[in-house]
Parts: sequence; C-alpha cells; structure tokens
Amino acid sequence: MPGVTEMSLDNMFCSRCREGFVPHEKIVNSNGELWHPQCFVCAQCFRPFPDGIFYEFEGYKYCEHDFHVLFAPCCEKCGEFVIGRVIKAMNANWHPGCFRCEECNGELADAGFIKCQGRALCHTCNARVKAGVLGKYICHQCHGVIDDKPLRFRGELYHPYHFNCTACGIELNSDAREVNSRPGYAANEMNELYCLRCHDKMGIPICGACRRPIEERVVTALGKHWHVEHFVCAKCEKPFLGHRHYEKKGLAYCETHYHQLFGNLCFVCNQVISGDVFTALNKAWCVHHFACAFCDQKMNQKTKFFEFDLKPACKKCYDKFPQELKKRMRRMYDLNPKRIPV
Amino acid sequence: MNQAPVSCIPAGKMSKAKKVLDEAREIQNPELDLADKSISTFEEMPGLLNMINITRLTLSHNKIQAVPPGLANLVNLEILNLFNNHITELPISLSQMPKLRILNVGMNKLDVLPRGFGAFPVLEVLDLTYNNLSEKNLPGNFFMMETLRALYLADNDFEYLPPEIGQLKNLQILVLRENDLIELPKEIGELTRLRELHIQGNRLTVLPPEIGNLDLVSNKAVFRMEFNPWVTPIGDQLQVGISHVIDYIRSETYRYVYNRHQSAKGPPPPIENDKSKKISRVR
Repeated sequence: MPGVTEMSLDNMFCSRCREGFVPHEKIVNSNGELWHPQCFVCAQCFRPFPDGIFYEFEGYKYCEHDFHVLFAPCCEKCGEFVIGRVIKAMNANWHPGCFRCEECNGELADAGFIKCQGRALCHTCNARVKAGVLGKYICHQCHGVIDDKPLRFRGELYHPYHFNCTACGIELNSDAREVNSRPGYAANEMNELYCLRCHDKMGIPICGACRRPIEERVVTALGKHWHVEHFVCAKCEKPFLGHRHYEKKGLAYCETHYHQLFGNLCFVCNQVISGDVFTALNKAWCVHHFACAFCDQKMNQKTKFFEFDLKPACKKCYDKFPQELKKRMRRMYDLNPKRIPV
Repeated sequence: MNQAPVSCIPAGKMSKAKKVLDEAREIQNPELDLADKSISTFEEMPGLLNMINITRLTLSHNKIQAVPPGLANLVNLEILNLFNNHITELPISLSQMPKLRILNVGMNKLDVLPRGFGAFPVLEVLDLTYNNLSEKNLPGNFFMMETLRALYLADNDFEYLPPEIGQLKNLQILVLRENDLIELPKEIGELTRLRELHIQGNRLTVLPPEIGNLDLVSNKAVFRMEFNPWVTPIGDQLQVGISHVIDYIRSETYRYVYNRHQSAKGPPPPIENDKSKKISRVR
C-alpha cells in the first residue's frame, strides 16, 4: 500500500504530546492516530484504560468510570447510571424499567403517560382518578372529561364526536351502535361503530318475533332470524333452546305439540311415535300397538283387516260379529278388506 | 275307559284359561290374552284378581255375564277389553282404577251404567258400541271424563245427546252411528279437537250451525253423516260432498234455514232402524 511504504519515523508524532518516536519504541495506534503508550490514558484521571476500553466525547477519551461520572445520566428512581435507552420525563432521567405509573406500577416507557397533579400516571389510572374526582368519564382519545353520555368502543369510553359512522360517515352521537363484525367471537378489536340509522338498516339480523336487532346468538329457522329465547313452539310458546323443532306451514312446534296437532301419536299409547308408523283409518299406531281393536291381537302391514267405525277388526273378530250387524254394515259401507299402507 | 273328573265347570275349558294364567305368571307377562276361551265367569280364572302386575286384560268373545267388583284390584291395568260378552251391569269400582286408559265394553247387554261411572281418573278411550244405552240411563257425571279422547256410542238407543258433551274438551273421536238421534246439541261445536264424527243412520234433519266451528273437512278429519232424513238443502249438498255441506252450514243462508226449522218444529221423523234382532236385546 503506498501510504504505508511512504510512512517513516520522521513525520510521525504522538497525538497527545506532539513529540516524535524513537526507533523501536512501542507505538499505540487507535483509529489512525498514534500515541506513546504513557500518553494513551484517560483525559480525566491520566491512568491507562482498564482492559483498553475507553469512551470518546468531544475529542477526548475517558475511562469508563470517569465517562459515566462526567456525562452519563442518573436514574431518578434507583440512582444508578442509565446505560443504553434513557427515558427523559418529568424533568428527570429513568431506566425504562424504572419509569412506572404511580398508581398501578405499570411500565410507562412505551405506553405513554399523563402528568396528573405532579404524578406520572398511565391513561387508565389517570381516567379513573379523574373520574373519581369528577364523577365523570374521561375520553380515552383526548383524555378530556366526557360531560354527556360516553360512547363505549372496543372496551374504552370516548366522546362520541371523535368517531364517524363506518357506513355513512356522519359524526356519531351516543346513540351509535358498536357492531361485532365476527359473530361468535368475544374479542372486540374488530368491532366497528355505526350511527343508529345505518345500524338498523344494515345486515344486522332482526328477530322474527320481537322485531328488534339481534346482538348475541342468532337462530336461523323458517327463513327468519330469531333471538334464542324468542324461537319458541307455536303452541306452548316455550323456547326450543337448541332442542329439535318441527316445522309445519311456516310455524315451528316442539315435538309434543307437533305430534299432538299433526297426528303422529299412537292411538293406543297416545305417545309420540319415534320409529315405524302404521297409518290407517285416520289414525296412527306405533309398532307395539297396531292390533285388532276387538281382540287386541297384534297385526302387521300384511294383515288383512276390516274397518268398523274406523277401528281395525281382524278377520276372526269380524266373522264373530252378529249377522244382523254385518247386514247393516254391508248396507252402509263398501266392505272390501284393505291392506295397510305403511 | 277313563272318565274325566267330575266338576261343575267342564275340565277342558278350565284348563284353557288356567293355562294362559299359569304361563303369564311364570314368564311375568303383564299382558293377558284370554279372548275366545268360552269363559262364563271369573271363577274360571283362579288367582287372576291377585295378578296385580298385569297392564292389559283381554276377555273379548266370551260369555261373561257379571264383572266382579274385585277386578278393580288390578291397579296397574291400563287396557281392559270385554268386547262381545253378555255383561248387563258393570261394577262402580271400575271407575276407580287409577291407570285404566282404554275400556272396551262394546257388544254387551248394558241397559244402564252405574251411578258415578264418570269418575275414571285417566280414561282415554271408552267403547260402549252395540249396547242398549240412551241419554236416560247415563250417570250424572258421565261427561266429566275430561281425559277422554274417543267415545264410541254407535248402535245404542240415544235420541238426544246431552249438551254436557261440550265438556269433553279432549275428545277427538265421537261415534254415534245408528242411534235414534233426533237432534244434536249446539255444544258439539265446542269440541275443538274433534277430528272424527260419525252420525250416520240416525233421525237427524238439521245440524246446529255451531258444527261449522269444527275442522271436519281437512285431510286429517272424517265426518260421516249419511242415512239421515236431512232437510232438502243439506241433503242436496251431501250429494256433492261433505265439504259442500260444511260450507253451506257456515253460510248466513243456513243460519236462517236452521232458525226457521227450529221455530216450526214438527214431529220427529219415525224410527227406521229395526233393532229387534240385535244380540244385545236377547235375554
């Protein structure tokens, strides 16, 4: 390198005492500046730098101790030097971990703070302290006192006029509605605000029973939305609450009343028929109770039976009917034995 | 030659009913089928009245004349079928049976029901078809059986149906086929759950307009009204169908026709049903 080859003892001198160097003498080289070893010392205490570590400030080099003494800030809380990030607040210096809310002791370095009667407080504590004093809420945005009704949004309270309707952009008042845009999620960080007018117009489901918007769980049935507690049996008006419902002609019924009204109760046991149903003679039977009405013998879908006042009579019983009755029956009815449709 | 042992009851018969009872006791069967066993008295069924676990007792097609009051001991009985016997009287104790839901005493020789018979606590189906009953021999509390779903009174001798019928709020089936009914009470219109009404083969000329309140024309309903001496407009509508009759009954025109008919009431039509051959009359 040309710079190195041209270098000679004649034009080299110590940066501190400006004297030259004797051949073979030890030279300290720091960032291109040269020093006698006895001249490379702290500008304050004139002692060599421990472990060779020095701090430079305005052209002078200091050992670590003297640099801190002369220039490093002291933490207002613990009295130690603050190395690295210094928080300058309340006319003092702080370690980030030492600058805390005087109410709740939460760290303020990143959250920000509010000076309240000479104390540093977090937003929450400040609002609480102020509200406690005034009996009023403090706006989470401007930290001013809320004189009228506050607007609750994502868990905090605000002056309504800080916000505009998400739909029409109008400035909001306290009638504004907070909408959970992800039904079923409890987290509120996605919530949005709408003016009452837009809220009522938008896709918020309206309960088919009470005609009010549904803010919580929505039941969708019969092509309508319902509050859980408003989706009820059309007969007994008890809410289904997740139990099975039966639909008929645009109305919903509980199991008992659906069967009571629409006929799938067994004629004999008067219970709801859950399995196979025998339907005949304007009646229904469960598999256990489809029997001749006159001798109680069980019948099945293949049994031939006669109809007598819309009751099933097996052939054996029908044969035992008195002649005069059968004669009258023949006069009145067409007596073809019928198979049961199952 | 082996002689059968001498007994007042023929041995073959006795063993038949007894065998069923023994079997039922052995396998703890709560349903007793004793239909068509030629039983004449309850004495042929020893121990029956102690089988308090049974829920159904079927004694149809026998020759029983008397039902012992002790039958009410069977407190778990839900179904009692005495169809086609020779019973002339029922014990009042039956109406105290706490679980009896279905009682069939059809095709017997009942002329009267005992006083207080309507006290059944849970009776749902009462079949009195083919007896000799009329409004004159019903007990005073007969229409207090509010749990009744079906009432079968066909082939009896009713000329009037008591207006108390309106108290049977749960009635779904009412059968009055082939009685001697001259008119129906307007209270029949209060039976809002009625879906089966049989009034064919009586002496009816008009229907109370209140019958229009009932749903008797849906596909879940049956209304049988043929073989009555109907006034001409009803008879004409019946020719085209039951639904036309109901439409007509519901009209203002009919209300007028009905009121006029009621105020100018003539003698009732004659009895056409010949009941002399009914086996319920044979003594």
